Amino acid sequence: MLTRIAGGRVVDPTAGRDAIGDVWIEDGRIVAPSDRAPDRTLDAAGCIVMAGGVEVHSHIAGGNVVLARLLLPELGVSEPGAPNPHGSGRDVGLLYARMGYTTAVEPAMPPVNALATQLELAEIPLLDRGGLCVMGNDDQLLQLLRDRESADAVRDLVALNVATSRALGVKVINAGGADAFKDGAVRFSLDDEVPAYGLTSRTILTGLLDAVESLKVPHPLHVHCSNLGLPGADDSLIETLAAAEGRRIHFAHAQFYAYAALDKDNPLTGGFRSAAPRIAEALARHPNATLDIGQVVFGQTATISLDILRQFSGRKAASPKRWIVNAGDAEGGGIVPFRYRDRGPTSSLQFAIGLELMLLSPDPERTILTTDHPNGGPFTAYPRILHLLMDKEARDREVAAHPKVAAERSGLSGIAREYTLSEVAQLTRSGPAKLLGLTDRGHLRPGARADIAVYRDQPDRTAMFARAHRVLKDGAVIVEDGEVVSWTSGHTLSLAVEADAGMARRTESYLQGRFGAGLSTFTVPDAAFPDREVFEAVSCRT
Amino acid sequence: MTAWIDGRAATREDAVAAAASLLAGARSPVFAGLCAEAASVQAAFDLARTIGASLDPAAGSALYADLGALASGGAMTTTPAEARGRADVVLALGAAPWASDILTELATDGPVRGRASGRPRAVLALGGPGAGSVQHVAYPAGEAGLAAAIGLLRGLVAGRVAGPHPLADLATRLRDALYGVILYDPAETGALGAEMLNGLVKDLNETTRCFALPLGDLHQGRAVAQIAAWSTGQGPRVGFGRGTPEHDPWRFDAGRQAAAGEADAALWLAALPTPLPAWTRTVPTVALLGAPKGDEAQVVIGVGVPGEAFGAALWHPRRAAIAWHAVDGPQPVPGPAAAILADLQARLASPAEKPFPAKNPTTNPERSASC
Repeated sequence: MLTRIAGGRVVDPTAGRDAIGDVWIEDGRIVAPSDRAPDRTLDAAGCIVMAGGVEVHSHIAGGNVVLARLLLPELGVSEPGAPNPHGSGRDVGLLYARMGYTTAVEPAMPPVNALATQLELAEIPLLDRGGLCVMGNDDQLLQLLRDRESADAVRDLVALNVATSRALGVKVINAGGADAFKDGAVRFSLDDEVPAYGLTSRTILTGLLDAVESLKVPHPLHVHCSNLGLPGADDSLIETLAAAEGRRIHFAHAQFYAYAALDKDNPLTGGFRSAAPRIAEALARHPNATLDIGQVVFGQTATISLDILRQFSGRKAASPKRWIVNAGDAEGGGIVPFRYRDRGPTSSLQFAIGLELMLLSPDPERTILTTDHPNGGPFTAYPRILHLLMDKEARDREVAAHPKVAAERSGLSGIAREYTLSEVAQLTRSGPAKLLGLTDRGHLRPGARADIAVYRDQPDRTAMFARAHRVLKDGAVIVEDGEVVSWTSGHTLSLAVEADAGMARRTESYLQGRFGAGLSTFTVPDAAFPDREVFEAVSCRT
Repeated sequence: MTAWIDGRAATREDAVAAAASLLAGARSPVFAGLCAEAASVQAAFDLARTIGASLDPAAGSALYADLGALASGGAMTTTPAEARGRADVVLALGAAPWASDILTELATDGPVRGRASGRPRAVLALGGPGAGSVQHVAYPAGEAGLAAAIGLLRGLVAGRVAGPHPLADLATRLRDALYGVILYDPAETGALGAEMLNGLVKDLNETTRCFALPLGDLHQGRAVAQIAAWSTGQGPRVGFGRGTPEHDPWRFDAGRQAAAGEADAALWLAALPTPLPAWTRTVPTVALLGAPKGDEAQVVIGVGVPGEAFGAALWHPRRAAIAWHAVDGPQPVPGPAAAILADLQARLASPAEKPFPAKNPTTNPERSASC
């Protein structure tokens, strides 16, 4: 069926396109304008037409997301007609689709819990999904590195984990930190040693950076640095960037590291100011690096992280005062509920720093919008955040309502920049799609998947982005005027990577010794999803 | 023979039609048992959403004791494999751990990873019967019972109970452990005991490392809790009677609903061995059973046993995770319960059904943080 989306303002920065025009679709893909009469015309007059949004870092599935729901039943509660971003996978799919997002990636899938995570991802309707395989605290990898095995062995172990868990990419979370925590540590930095292995965090990071490059994984190593959220954490990010030595690297939730210590001698007690200019400048000098923001918004949330060392250290800030730390088979996880106090001085400064980081961005395709859902707040805050990026006046009004410290310790009020629609598309479409190596989305050029968001052009950008006029997934209309009209099920994207048979044999023996259960129990077979075609393969880089 | 209606053999087609008809007219249907592989449990949640049923897993009291303690205070936990790899001290609470394989295994070796590596592993018992084959140090729970003893122990560890006490030495051993692990069965400790245990463990972590390790249940309860969480945003028990999922462990107790006459139809899902409640013969019930006799309920349909008849995602006690259980050469008949549930879904779903009621944004603001 040939479809024409007619007369909208088509915004596709990858094609230099921002003008009234048409988008043509056939067989689920975008095609060149056709001479044939369309079978269906969707009127987009008065609307903005963009590619479907792509999410790179949102905790939407996995054991810790489950635990957060069990810890905080009141946060995940359902109310009629009010889908909840902390609620079911179904609500998550609906809320993303309603905003015009069509792809979302869960960044923290431990290989030991891959099957449950994949079962959960498959229950998120409307979207294409993916998970990143977490490595960097698992004993088998740490043993290989301690024993100075070859880079090929590390590569083969990473490939085996990605293939077995059916992941889209690889993430490392405070490399070695969880292991150090189990041995009593509460602080851990890039050059600290994991006590029982005699390995620094830097060594683990380097091993994984090399493996990801060698395997030609399209998505660069996704890095959660040490010292998240602490004054002086900017040093951790900058040191980690230097440690990458030009290799591709993605920094998760950079806002939580953009905290320069006010008192260098007493960093933990002296408070912090924005380090956004330092990070933006470093990003400008390092084209190999990308980041997502981890914007803070206000209200009750649950922080969810596999960085159990940091979650344990942050436990006393829990609100309400109940929290979980699970010392798992590698990282495990920590759930610490948190309330970003509306107009609280610290929350307001964090809020300002996130916006500042995006507004100072040398390249919006490399500074992707996330709230690190639910860690900085729910992803449903994106429309309001985009509004503030696009509207200096609205931003000034917002900042004026916050404690002075937000303006004094950040440069936000001095920034005149207003994001254009093309920059918004870079921040939320083309940037994340390129980062994930998904060439078939994030743009509207012929050949792209027909994942398309159509918004009514209105001055209230919050309202505009909150409820898309129409959303198409693979060419089918799934949302009309903010309501789901077709409950389709997307695919889970998994990297087509070959596992080495020799490493599989070694790993079988290791797993049997450790768990009394072999590699077959760690697999995610198609048969776990009867009568459904869940997975779609993504190729490695050539 | 794999299907029965009113105790008489029937074709599967007729039995599925009878099951659909039984459930179609129900005003307050209950789905219980839920002792099956993930795909079938998921299918049960999907069908419950469609027809407005409530769901209650057979795992029952053990699961709720743990979930209740978790939701009131949180926890610090570890896994069986980490306990085997790292623990230098293992404390078994009550009797249940002594009947578990994991305690026997923990007693046979010592820590090999982390800072306790190479140390011997001490096995301690509080209020348990012990076992002749496992060398251990026993401490009495006292007359007030296990939960009270855990409370006393917590007071001793935190320095809140002064003077000589039979458990003072146990408190010292836990404080001195490098990686302590406390094994317990929430069914035995109860919610209050589990909550006290979680507090004890958190207190110990102010100065060292110690983690709770709950024994799993026999009826897939921990897998069902996960599926419930992602399907409804809540742990079990949960009901879809009002369209959106509601979490209420008391209201949606299947046994209570049957006894009170609230349930007018039921679906009992037990692809794996599960004790059959008496109410399946009094409430009009569809039973999907891995080992059917035919007289368990008004409609009985035999289903394949997951992990035996076909590969399946099931709770793996040694891994404490949902894990794949592969089967060589799966048997085609009878198939998984998921197939029957999908058939019922197709028969009972209304084509016009809207998964979410139309939303009025002015009266029902989304639950989200603002900025």
